[in-house]
Amino acid sequence: MDYGQDLLFGTFVTPTAQSPQQAVELAKVADRNGLDLVTFQDHPYQTSFLDAWTLISYAAAQTERVHLSANVLNMRLRQPAIVARSAASLDRLSNGRVELGIGAGGFAEAANSMGARPMTNGESVRALEESIAIIRDLWNTEKRGGVTLDGEFHSVRGAKRGPAPVHPIGIWIGALGPKMLDLVGRIGDGWLPSLPYLKGGTAALDEMNRQIDEGAERAGRKPSDVRRLLNIVGQFSSSNGGYLVGPPAQWAEELAETTLTHGVTGFILMADDAYTTESYANEVAPAVREIVAAARGAAI
Amino acid sequence: MNYGHPLQFGVFLTPSAGDPERVVELAIRAEALGYDLVTVQDHPYQPAHLDAWTLMSWLAGRTTRIGIAANVLNLPLRDPTVLARAAASLDLLSGGRVTLGLGAGHFWDAIAANGGPRHSPGDAVAALDDAITVLRGLLDTSETSPLNFDGEFYRVDGAERGPVAAHDIPIWIGASKPRMLRLVGRRGDGWLPTVRSEDVSNLGARNQIIDSAAIETGRDPREIRRIANISGRFATETGGFLAGPPEAWVRELAPLVAEHGFGTFILMSDDAAVIETFANDVIPALRAETASEIVAAGARQMRRASVRQKRRDQIAYDELPMSLASEAIEPGDPRFANVRSTYMRGGNPGLVLRPGSTEEVVDAIAFARAHPDLPLSRRSGGHGISGRSTNDGGIVIDLSRMNAIQVLDEATRRVRIEPGARWMEVARVLEPHGWALTSGDYGGVGVGGLATAGGLGFLARKHGLTIDHLLAAEIVLADGSVLRTSPEEHAELFWAIRGAGSNFGIVTGFEFEVDAVGQVGWGQLSFAIDDLATFIERWGRVVEEAPRELTAQLIVGRPRPGRPLTAHSLVMVDSDQPEAIIAALEPLAQVAPLIDHRIVITSYANVMANADGGPHRGQGEPVAHSMLVDHFTPEFSRAAAKFIERGAAYWFQVRSAGGAVSDVDPDATAYSGRSANFSLVVMGASRRMLDPEWEELKPFASGMYLSFETDRSVERLHDAFSPEALARLRALKAAYDPENLFRDNFAIAPQPALR
Repeated sequence: MDYGQDLLFGTFVTPTAQSPQQAVELAKVADRNGLDLVTFQDHPYQTSFLDAWTLISYAAAQTERVHLSANVLNMRLRQPAIVARSAASLDRLSNGRVELGIGAGGFAEAANSMGARPMTNGESVRALEESIAIIRDLWNTEKRGGVTLDGEFHSVRGAKRGPAPVHPIGIWIGALGPKMLDLVGRIGDGWLPSLPYLKGGTAALDEMNRQIDEGAERAGRKPSDVRRLLNIVGQFSSSNGGYLVGPPAQWAEELAETTLTHGVTGFILMADDAYTTESYANEVAPAVREIVAAARGAAI
Repeated sequence: MNYGHPLQFGVFLTPSAGDPERVVELAIRAEALGYDLVTVQDHPYQPAHLDAWTLMSWLAGRTTRIGIAANVLNLPLRDPTVLARAAASLDLLSGGRVTLGLGAGHFWDAIAANGGPRHSPGDAVAALDDAITVLRGLLDTSETSPLNFDGEFYRVDGAERGPVAAHDIPIWIGASKPRMLRLVGRRGDGWLPTVRSEDVSNLGARNQIIDSAAIETGRDPREIRRIANISGRFATETGGFLAGPPEAWVRELAPLVAEHGFGTFILMSDDAAVIETFANDVIPALRAETASEIVAAGARQMRRASVRQKRRDQIAYDELPMSLASEAIEPGDPRFANVRSTYMRGGNPGLVLRPGSTEEVVDAIAFARAHPDLPLSRRSGGHGISGRSTNDGGIVIDLSRMNAIQVLDEATRRVRIEPGARWMEVARVLEPHGWALTSGDYGGVGVGGLATAGGLGFLARKHGLTIDHLLAAEIVLADGSVLRTSPEEHAELFWAIRGAGSNFGIVTGFEFEVDAVGQVGWGQLSFAIDDLATFIERWGRVVEEAPRELTAQLIVGRPRPGRPLTAHSLVMVDSDQPEAIIAALEPLAQVAPLIDHRIVITSYANVMANADGGPHRGQGEPVAHSMLVDHFTPEFSRAAAKFIERGAAYWFQVRSAGGAVSDVDPDATAYSGRSANFSLVVMGASRRMLDPEWEELKPFASGMYLSFETDRSVERLHDAFSPEALARLRALKAAYDPENLFRDNFAIAPQPALR
């Protein structure tokens, strides 16, 4: 089903440390070509990558319009209070161009090698929930008094609120398992899975969407409160070679179908070259918008 | 006392969350005023402030030159493992502009309220000590093993080190009490106190504690820079410490330099007028006032003991001229991992000098001259096969910072290129002009090595060798003199540079006339080979008969049991007309059954964008042989087929020459293989396996392309150069490099001409 949000198009750029300016250049290409988002993965134990937050902040300083996000921030290695204030700070510096892609953290052993507290999967989901609660509360400067949360994993006691972001930063959660999907439904602003990890491709989205919808409804929210995003991979080629392997027009039809049938309204393409980024921005994104607008118009 | 540190000046700006644009504007203003540093305080519990690391990263993105430092980071709320990654990352993004100022933490209620620990004063110092171990360990990429550390406050269990930062990131420590001062002495690269009027009388005693702790740890107190955060106001009348006219400030700050060894002053002010007055009226006067003390104390930043420990005895590191010291990389440097090896070779040099100008190349050659018994390597792109652009224990002069590409005259297509540029960059810069300069075929190759040897690439048959486009060259000779060479100036040396340049010095600027080249045809053809000898012969004949617009390359795969033999031909056609491209390619496509092909119209720059541009991580020693061949005769083709089928080589590659390359008189340049239509290069696992088979091909050689040859025997010189050319080169060598300083790439023994 279609949840009806406007569409976002972005890229997922490898934060290669060996050629540090490459990721920045690709962010600028996305910015110039009118994409909505540039995102970077966060694996602090991976020494061939740049630190995600540093790169996001630096790239934000060199771009004008595009929004930036981690995809997704590894919360096993990041402290919630610091994340909250860092995101709000960058939102203020960048005039509201930050979103918060966030995850419970994979690659447990690598994270442990960095000194992270060992956790089971269930524990890391609960720890993420606490982190999100702290982050949201620290951003909320409307409320009086300090932020206190005496959690199982994170404790803040009377932390001062603020700084506040200048726009409502979306908390988009990378999630696959049932507990995480439930969490997305209950407290997420967005869901950010990766297509290569979905068994069965886009068809798998429906059941997972249902779990999110249930989580949302149980928490008294509307399913449309949760934006569905999707990290996608594809290849431009002259002939049809399957989902997102083919000419831009084919991509556009397939992505529009994914919006109208599976509710995805944010498509983030793994793209490490300017040509792919430009083609996606100029030939795919407008065409998807057109098809979706026409279909939604017809449905009314 | 003074520690010899050249003076630096910085600003300390309030990271106000309420007005983020203001702090950014002040930082940009400080950079324009010539400040060396912009620093940011870190109180992660303070909602009125922007997050320090985020702001530092943002400022790095909005400035180009100024250093960026935390002043100081709150370690209780900053995990040192992630901080190490972040610091290396920001250093990479900013081009080596990061300094880490660290603090043990102060406002414990606020720290604990935000999820941090509540340390006793003693524990806070111990935790910072641990954190420094983690930071330094993860940033020390001169070590290859993973980091293990089981500290009281932090634990790291086999974490990989890296990323490799752009420079050795200094760690400065904010400290005032004895325990922290001792930590500075033991671990710090800098001491970062706030100096108010009442602190001045204590500075001597505090320095004393730091210096004693340093000496007890086996360090030299000069390793530790002293940085003062200062604040004050400008007034016409003097009203106390740093409250008066600029001259009074200079009078009060000068003793901090001369008597207490401060090397850096950081002005704590958000007032643009104060920042400007300090820059204009205090900094130059204070520099002048203190210059003699700093020079007397050595005028250089001493490296950490742990870095000095990895030095080679034979190299006088401390005598490096200042011009080279700051960019030089020694074995204890984190960046050493990025510069020790080349594309195909592992290395372990004792010192890598990275000059940024012709004057610095002169200094680097003088330093090398003072170490005559050590290996000396020169490196432009570090791709070389014949050239030993790394070594074991010696000196490398790495020219990668000299990479400018500049159009001198649009009308005559005259372009000046420095040796450290890579050919992919050259192609990219020339493309918008509708130009190209024929080069090699790999974009990661550096200009200097190739443009002093030959340059046989995808435009060769139409446009000749790279050296055939050289109009003039500026070269630094062994004795340090700088000559401009051209057909009119030092013509004999100019002759030698074009083919044997590596023997005579370091070319610091090449002036080329480049060609008008638009879009080109680019074909990749893969063949299934049935009869290899016939295939080689036919491929050679078709290429020789093709129009000059076509230049081709052939790579024959290694035979594998049970698999059909395949060959790949890469072909460029210098034309943007589809019909002409197809017409030129068609005969080649019919040489053998095609199993795959791809033909596109693209730019020369796009074809050359085939290298990643990252640091080289070669290992071991390549074994390669080269020969030039005039024609692929039936006899040669049979011998070559036999050579390939015996499997002694894992790489067999042919580049087409002839055409415009052969238009040039063999005596016009030191490169003398003008009759050849083909250049052959083979690579094998060992000489023992490769050489006997290679000998079978030698009778067919008409010369050698020296850049593809790893054999250093004197006899190989006779393969590369005609007897007349070699005699000229020996005489020139005797005149310009009699001590044979430049011997890392096809050394020609000096031999004065017979009179």
